[in-house]
Amino acid sequence: MSDRYARTRHDPSPATVAAFQVRGRFLTALALRIDTESADDTFYAQLDEQLLRTPQFFSGAPVVLDFINAPGFGDPDRMRELVGNLRRRELQVFGVQNAVGIEETVLQGLGLIALTAGRDAPLPRDNSPVRPVEAPRPVQNKVIRSPVRSGQMIVAEQGDLTVIGSVASGAELVAAGNIHVYGPLRGRAMAGCHGDESAHIFCQSLNAELVAIAGLYHTSEMLEDAARQRCTHIYLEDEKLRMEVIA
Amino acid sequence: MTTEPKNNPPLGRVIVITSGKGGVGKTTSAAAISAGLAKQGFRTVVIDFDVGLRNLDMIMGCERRVVFDFINVIQGDAKLKQALIKDKRLDTLSILPTSQTRDKDALTKEGVEQILKELKAEFDYIVCDSPAGIERGAQMAMYFADEAVVVTNPEVSSVRDSDRVLGLLSSQTKRAETSGAEPIKAQVLLTRYDQARVDIGEMMTVDDVLEILAVPLLGVIPESKAILRASNVGTPVVLDGPSAAAQAYEDAVSRLTGSDVEMRIVGERRPGLFQRLFGRAS
Repeated sequence: MSDRYARTRHDPSPATVAAFQVRGRFLTALALRIDTESADDTFYAQLDEQLLRTPQFFSGAPVVLDFINAPGFGDPDRMRELVGNLRRRELQVFGVQNAVGIEETVLQGLGLIALTAGRDAPLPRDNSPVRPVEAPRPVQNKVIRSPVRSGQMIVAEQGDLTVIGSVASGAELVAAGNIHVYGPLRGRAMAGCHGDESAHIFCQSLNAELVAIAGLYHTSEMLEDAARQRCTHIYLEDEKLRMEVIA
Repeated sequence: MTTEPKNNPPLGRVIVITSGKGGVGKTTSAAAISAGLAKQGFRTVVIDFDVGLRNLDMIMGCERRVVFDFINVIQGDAKLKQALIKDKRLDTLSILPTSQTRDKDALTKEGVEQILKELKAEFDYIVCDSPAGIERGAQMAMYFADEAVVVTNPEVSSVRDSDRVLGLLSSQTKRAETSGAEPIKAQVLLTRYDQARVDIGEMMTVDDVLEILAVPLLGVIPESKAILRASNVGTPVVLDGPSAAAQAYEDAVSRLTGSDVEMRIVGERRPGLFQRLFGRAS
């Protein structure tokens, strides 16, 4: 097969009347990404289930095998077995992609071509025009009167967030505006989550895992020692987080 | 041991023993607390929610008497009466064992609710022994609870997990979802507490733990050899002779039932100088 193609390309017969025409042709192929190191029974069972569920989807469609997650198919025997089994299921396997470890001769022997270009799907493009400036949304502050537990996440989408109680390690506070914690802050606090650089964080005892204002953050390791376990005011100045002990 | 059963209508309080983290002493505490309640004369049943990893029956010493289990009852294969095992030491105590062969998906909210409803009509206290984790088994164990005992070790990961569980208790339970209902009364039970290690700064103090969890303290159970010994012979520690741990559990049970017992942190008696010098030889 490859010989014939080589001849037509490099050694064309001197014909006077064009016996062929070259035209571009795009086709859509299904890419079957192999996510397992060996095509075992589970693999085939799952595949059969999928085929059974959507039979029309696969019938007659050309299929490309993607080995990006399965470098183990460099072994020719395993590759041969896989392609054979897929073809027996009437999948029109014609090419491979991301097949780094697989030798060219093995592919040729199986009648497969290695695809180097092409993406899984066209990237979604954002064609929407620049959004008009939204009218400022009404401020909605939030007050929490109980301790915020590990794993809880409290969001004040449009205003300040005040917690009267402790914020445990593993808890998260997010606010568009300021964050006040009347208790120890051991979790994460993110003020100015929509980019408000004038947001502040106040807490009675600073021991946070992370504090952030308008996306600029400090982790626990970077907290200033002077502010640790102290009543602290955190704010942005010259694009840097400042910590000021206030009591 | 006989106790005088109370003849007034059953209280029907559901108490979940939970923790988040595994290995902190949930099942031991569930066994000790339920035995302690029964010893005080309360009609008590203890339910094992750890489907697939059942252990409560062993700690309670009734593993040879399990015929039907919690899951059989949920699925309608057995009546509740058939699955309940009466304790041989305390006639006010019953055990509802779970299945070792099924998994947590066998627990349904409707099934659990129905069983708890039936038990509430007969028992003063229904103690639910939660599995570790925060998945289905633990959620089912805590969902219908009136009170929660959060078992915590004085150690950071256990405390954090307990905090997470306290969060779930206040958000993902029936009482939390019913508007106007009183929230679950959660208390922390500090187990495996070792005063000697606290003194040298190796272990978190009671205050450290309470400061983080911000819930009332139900009791402090000292690390004690009596606990493993009792577990191995299948006896709840409060029924296995006097020990510091048994005393601490009895105090905790009294607080649970509303008595005001002074918080004392008892440790294993330290060996005296002579015992330390000559103890090994004897």
